[in-house]
Amino acid sequence: MKKTFAITLILALLLALISMPLSAQDRWDGADDLAVNPLACGMGDEMMDEGDDMEEDMEMMEYDGGMAAMGDDMAGMDITLVDVPKLVGIGYFAATTLGQQQAAEELGNVSVTTDAPTEANIDDQIQVIDSYITAGVDGILFAANDPVAIAPVLRKALEAGIHVVGYDANSEPDAREWFVNQAEFNGIAKALVDSLADQMGEDASFGIVTSTFTTPNQARWIAEMWAYASECYPDLEWLETLEAQEDAVLSFQQAQTLLNKYGEDLDGIFAMTSVATPNGADAVQQAGACEDVAVVGLATPNGMKPYVNSGCVRDVILWNPVDLGYAAVYVMRAVVDGEFSPGDASVMAGRLGELVVVNGSEVLLGPPFTFTAENINDFDF
Amino acid sequence: MSKTKGAPVPRRPLHFIGIALALVIIGAYFLLPFVVQPERGPSTVAILTGSKKANELGLFKTGLEVIPLAGLGILLLGIWNVIAPAASRAISLLMSVAGLLIAVYYINFFRDYAADEATFINNMDIAFWIMLVAGVLAVLQILIPRGLPDERYRIMKLFGNQESVILFGLLLLIFIIGIANPRFLQERNISDNLQGNAYIAVAALGMTMVIVTGNIDISVGSLVGLLAVISGRLVVAGLPAPLAWLAPLIVGAGFGAFIGFLVAYLRIPSIVVTLGMLSIIKGILIIWAGGERVRDMPPEYFLSQMRPLGIPMPIIIMVVLTIVVVLWMRYSATGRAFYALGGNAEAARLSGLSQKRLLMTVFILNGIFVGIASVMYSTQFNIIQATPPPALELSVITASVVGGVSILGGTGTALGSTLATLLLNFIRSAMIFINVSPFWLKAVQGLLILATVLADLIRRRRQRL
Amino acid sequence: MKSAQAKEPSPRNPTVSEKLRHLVISQEGVLFVIMLVSVLFLATRTDKFLTVDNLLQQGRFMTEVGLIAIPMTYIIITGGIDLSVGSILGLTAIVLGWTWQELGFPLELAIITGILSGTLAGFVNGLFIVRVGVPPLIMTLATLALYRGLAEGISEARSARGYPEWFFQLGQGEFLGIPTQLWLLIIAVVVFGIVLARTRLGRALYAIGNNETGARFSGLTVNRHLLFIYTFSGFMSAVAGYIFVSRVSTTRSDMGTGMELDVIAAVVLGGTSIFGGTGSIPGTIIGVVLIQLLKNGLTLSGVTSDATIVVIGSVLIFAILVNNFIQSRRGE
Repeated sequence: MKKTFAITLILALLLALISMPLSAQDRWDGADDLAVNPLACGMGDEMMDEGDDMEEDMEMMEYDGGMAAMGDDMAGMDITLVDVPKLVGIGYFAATTLGQQQAAEELGNVSVTTDAPTEANIDDQIQVIDSYITAGVDGILFAANDPVAIAPVLRKALEAGIHVVGYDANSEPDAREWFVNQAEFNGIAKALVDSLADQMGEDASFGIVTSTFTTPNQARWIAEMWAYASECYPDLEWLETLEAQEDAVLSFQQAQTLLNKYGEDLDGIFAMTSVATPNGADAVQQAGACEDVAVVGLATPNGMKPYVNSGCVRDVILWNPVDLGYAAVYVMRAVVDGEFSPGDASVMAGRLGELVVVNGSEVLLGPPFTFTAENINDFDF
Repeated sequence: MSKTKGAPVPRRPLHFIGIALALVIIGAYFLLPFVVQPERGPSTVAILTGSKKANELGLFKTGLEVIPLAGLGILLLGIWNVIAPAASRAISLLMSVAGLLIAVYYINFFRDYAADEATFINNMDIAFWIMLVAGVLAVLQILIPRGLPDERYRIMKLFGNQESVILFGLLLLIFIIGIANPRFLQERNISDNLQGNAYIAVAALGMTMVIVTGNIDISVGSLVGLLAVISGRLVVAGLPAPLAWLAPLIVGAGFGAFIGFLVAYLRIPSIVVTLGMLSIIKGILIIWAGGERVRDMPPEYFLSQMRPLGIPMPIIIMVVLTIVVVLWMRYSATGRAFYALGGNAEAARLSGLSQKRLLMTVFILNGIFVGIASVMYSTQFNIIQATPPPALELSVITASVVGGVSILGGTGTALGSTLATLLLNFIRSAMIFINVSPFWLKAVQGLLILATVLADLIRRRRQRL
Repeated sequence: MKSAQAKEPSPRNPTVSEKLRHLVISQEGVLFVIMLVSVLFLATRTDKFLTVDNLLQQGRFMTEVGLIAIPMTYIIITGGIDLSVGSILGLTAIVLGWTWQELGFPLELAIITGILSGTLAGFVNGLFIVRVGVPPLIMTLATLALYRGLAEGISEARSARGYPEWFFQLGQGEFLGIPTQLWLLIIAVVVFGIVLARTRLGRALYAIGNNETGARFSGLTVNRHLLFIYTFSGFMSAVAGYIFVSRVSTTRSDMGTGMELDVIAAVVLGGTSIFGGTGSIPGTIIGVVLIQLLKNGLTLSGVTSDATIVVIGSVLIFAILVNNFIQSRRGE
């Protein structure tokens, strides 16, 4: 009898432990206590105007980046850069590396090596950067795994007279000089939500497959999407957000789970990573639900060609990561040459022309780009 | 399973009463049509429950779930009663509590509905009456005389191993979640969940063999990633699909042979070798593939998307391989030797088995299974990622050890590891279906893994008594 | 095995050269030679490697792994394993940040709460392993998921930032010219190295690892020892978690992911047998240092991370291979 009681007790404890999280039902909206800044409602062309408006607002903002300690004047001289993305071995950062190599080749006096941990691990990234500070490079390009954690080592680089320019994922502003912003968070959010509302109507209901709740970029996008949707499409129904790491199979399974759980109530899936989008699309395609469920997501075109060409996915939203890497190298060159310094409103970036400065110390690549069946085959990255 | 004292008590029909009552209750709930009300249409309770918005699901609030849950409780108690009539007093007490729950539910039901729908009772369906009667009987059955205590039936054997504990857990999970959210039971979801982790199950078969011999392989995750890219690139380069499926098996066997050589002939512990290989293979993959995903595979390449006879291919592969491995490990000389090797390497050596050759064999076999798993993985989607699947080795090892494979070697079966893989995947998806807060998903998963392991330990301890 | 050798009375006093020879061909000695060779090789590749600043900086980076490797050595010597260390580190970090930011604890109290909860996590591991009899690998595999899940659940994906300046002293500051946390590591290595090599506790651990049943029958309180080392493992992971937060100045629920493999790699590289019974703290520390120096030195000499992990994996296998070879020759 004693044993029976013990077992019952353990079972009751387990049940209590399970029911506790059950009762806490949060619809995760990416909140990390940062202010959101949704764009005005509307479709299509207006987006560019919004960008312009914002630019005017932002010109008020002072430069809030850091400064590299004075070193030798390297203007016009050969410089060695190291590029430390979040991790190596994935398509997205292979594309930014490609862009950097293109820029280095064009400029002729820049050499870039890409080196990063093999997993998106904050500590490994810090150690890689630290080693390159010791090795003595002229400039560091980075995409941060965590904006705060990476800051001390970047400040150390600045103190050592190494120029620091970020791209893709920002750090704390004063830990680097410039950040090449691929697209504003609110611009991405608007593009994603507009695409879904356009495909499935303004009262669609949708789920989200993201990497992890702690990934800063994804969290910011989702927060901006929530802000924008609640302002412009109040009838959109948010079902839930699921984590899938950067895991192809898990992304596929989470999308399947959404499809099965909500059945005909599900109209769309937002996929927030370049892994989740193709695999989410695969789940929808294999379930034969292309007509009923729209997949809208961020992904590189090569990964999405099978699905866009088969007509299962209409819009893929992204900036051009090749251009992003390309711009980062040009910004770095301009900084080293002294042609681009705090207070400037724009910078020239080779084939991309003039890029404007926003938010104090960010160089904006441009509005997000929408890949569709018409143009996706023109891109190869 | 030691013998217990006291004469065995014959199994009486009365022992099955709990099962019978429960089947009546649950059957009436799910099979018989609900109240015939024109505006609602002919509908069963289950559909009525399921049509509620899932996120409004307040457990036990609406009452409709209480009947099947209580019925389930009675069913479990009934089964327990048959297995261990020794505790039949306690069981019938608990059974009555479940019956009482049904009765309480009826009181609430009448109070709520009688108020605004006076004609409701007239419309009340036969199903409801049946369930009420069965519930009352469940309360009354405490009066039914019992057999003597101290009786263990052969049916106990059914629950005498980890496999059946997991299978039981799996069915229980599917049943409970199915009641909470009937959409969980739809055919597509079950089939998706069965095939989703089939490749892990296949890798776990190899892992089971390795662990049974007292070794471990941590490098499977990296190897699956590498072999998948090899296979994909070969088929894109124009190799016929069957050859591209075969290539990973051969390369996998090669890696397995290398690991086996280091372990068997150079006597390096397998954890060291595979920890090293994990890094080495991963590095090779990243350097070689450069992050470039493989795509544009020809349509005939997608083995995992095929559905011969309407059954998804991964399920077929998983089931067939599991059966083969279970039989092979039980009946072949080599298979039995693996157990001997893990159980007592010295004894195995003395009995004339060549330890080195056995170790080579097991690692080569493991390499082949990893190869099969990688083909299942690479043919699943239209894109092959050029990175190893994150933390796959942990999933595979977890599946094996939850499936009852002792890490010290010597015990465990392939069936257990496959069932455990399924259980883990069903848990993942089930938690989403019942709206566990996304932040707590992992914690609940960890808890359930622990619960499965504990259930096994409790079972073993009871057996030892 | 080791302790038994140490106790063997020598027929005569060994000469200095014999002692030296004995030292060099011991597990740790061989590994130390491998490390020296690697260091010298790397030093010829780049002059940035063998500088005091760089080496101290590497000391800073390896502290967390080093601290956790100490109890891991203890555990592996007894034939167990603890896979949940990375998750305990993450849990500690989250509890620290959460109690401070959300519950408004004073930071000192939050640190103590964090370390206590990590210790508790280790204690729970030990309790289940000892009392319920769950095999260590299975228990810690389950809590690997469970503790990480708790960290995620408690934090709700929020990170705690903006600590006061004094908080960073441990992780980013220096004391007498040496990174603060490195002092901690040095003290811990010395103290717990002596505990393992020279005390009854240490001998008990070897005895448990060699023959647990035998140790039980010879009157050792095996359960109490095991409970202690798993709790100790939780405690050290928690301390490492605190240092880690102090070093990177933020908390995230995914901190320490995959760390268990780094730690285990260092421990087995250091000559601790995964089957229990042998191993030492000096060996473990050489393992930790060797891996860290390889990572850093290779990067400095222009090898990228993807190639670095290939080298480290090869060194791991190679070092054990050489050691096996030498030890078996020595045995003959």
